[in-house]
Amino acid sequence: MQAAVLKGYKDGYELILRDNADFDKILVELKDLFRKLQLDTIEEEKQVSFTVNSGNRLLDAKQKQKIEKLVGNYQRFSIHKFVSDVIRTEDALEFMEEHTVHLNTDTIRNGQVKTITGDVLFLGNVHKGGILQATGSIFVLGSVEGVLHAGYRDNVIAVIAGNFKEAQQIRISDLVDIIETDKQEKNVVAYVNDLHAVSYTTLSELKTLRPKIFTQVGGF
Amino acid sequence: MGKSIVITSGKGGVGKTTTTANLGAALALMGKKVCLVDLDIGLRNLDVILGLDNRIIYDIVDVAKGRAKLPQALIKDKRFEDKLFLLPAAQNTDKSALEPTEAKAIVDELRSEFDYVLLDCPAGIEQGFANAVAGADEAIVVSTPEISAVRDADRVVGLLEQQSLDEPPMLIINRIKKKMVNDGQMMDVDEITRHLSIKLIGIVFDDDNVIGFSNKGEPVILDEKSEASKGYRNIARRLEGETVPLMTLKEQERGGFFHKMGSWFRRK
Repeated sequence: MQAAVLKGYKDGYELILRDNADFDKILVELKDLFRKLQLDTIEEEKQVSFTVNSGNRLLDAKQKQKIEKLVGNYQRFSIHKFVSDVIRTEDALEFMEEHTVHLNTDTIRNGQVKTITGDVLFLGNVHKGGILQATGSIFVLGSVEGVLHAGYRDNVIAVIAGNFKEAQQIRISDLVDIIETDKQEKNVVAYVNDLHAVSYTTLSELKTLRPKIFTQVGGF
Repeated sequence: MGKSIVITSGKGGVGKTTTTANLGAALALMGKKVCLVDLDIGLRNLDVILGLDNRIIYDIVDVAKGRAKLPQALIKDKRFEDKLFLLPAAQNTDKSALEPTEAKAIVDELRSEFDYVLLDCPAGIEQGFANAVAGADEAIVVSTPEISAVRDADRVVGLLEQQSLDEPPMLIINRIKKKMVNDGQMMDVDEITRHLSIKLIGIVFDDDNVIGFSNKGEPVILDEKSEASKGYRNIARRLEGETVPLMTLKEQERGGFFHKMGSWFRRK
């Protein structure tokens, strides 16, 4: 059984490294493979680039370097991408965290800051002087008298929806809007418009504004 | 083994020290052995309110630094039949003279001797607050019906919730002016309790007697007729697990029989 297989597709070449083979064996076979390739092909042929697929194995930085170095010996060959069928649990959890709508029922009191990774459906209370920040969007069902910060740090796609007319401030990404009393309608959506300013619209507009929010429901 | 309760508020001037003194006195009158600990180092007042300021020899910092033994520093209040004691704060230094671990050690020692150890917390949320909370099993947050006091109380409740106390913090609303509440000018009790979402353990009405008695160095609790005294007594009873109804906000009609008779003829 070969440890390294070269496959050609319409849109390029793929190097499949068998995940049950020893890595040193793979390196030996790769060396062999490239030597043959170099001999088999005509000198003037144009640059060839490979995708390296490591299957159910994760290559670490050192292993990737070794493969790149090996391929680097041949001027006409290069690697443009490493892919694999698996990811690290940590990365997966992080991805989950970022793409889940979190349910939160905390009471965030004066002086407290609650930071959530991902979107949040908020059922708790934000007291005056408290801050709720999320890297994603904030959907409010609870009572908010403090500060809401969606898209915490730099996500301008984030929105804030629900009843936040009692809030002190609305923040999205790097923008701040001070909520004046009696100014807000009850159920609105705050978002960042094309001019990079906080803008408000009705809930029904949200679908045209951020269609992705509606398509992600059901998955994560 | 008794329990230690910190009395705190965040904001200054809402009546922490007065509450500590009167609650302690009320518990002592009920036959409990109580020790009051003044942690407002550098700005001590609890001794003055109790009229014990001339009897201080050693203070809590002396105890913490090993210059005195704990029993030497305790001051007995003779009015309460060996039931009420005070551990005074130091006056010649500041909050940083005491470390939370030292405060906790002292409170732990006191707890084995007394039924209640009441810790009078200084205003603010700095070291003094950390010292006071370090040894506490439970907490009472004092607030007045003012927006600034309630806001600070909210902050303090947040900090207390992170301290993993035995019980969630309890609330005393102090200095309620019946007339202003009934006129709708002052925040009412329900509104504050709902906002802070912690358990209300009692309310105390604004009462001129409090200042008068404090100036004499006596807790107002000794005046059985005053409104504030009743409020504090009720709180003490609730701490002991009794069910006591909340005092009514209705303004009391004054006068005796003839005054009442007169009111039948008076225009409503």
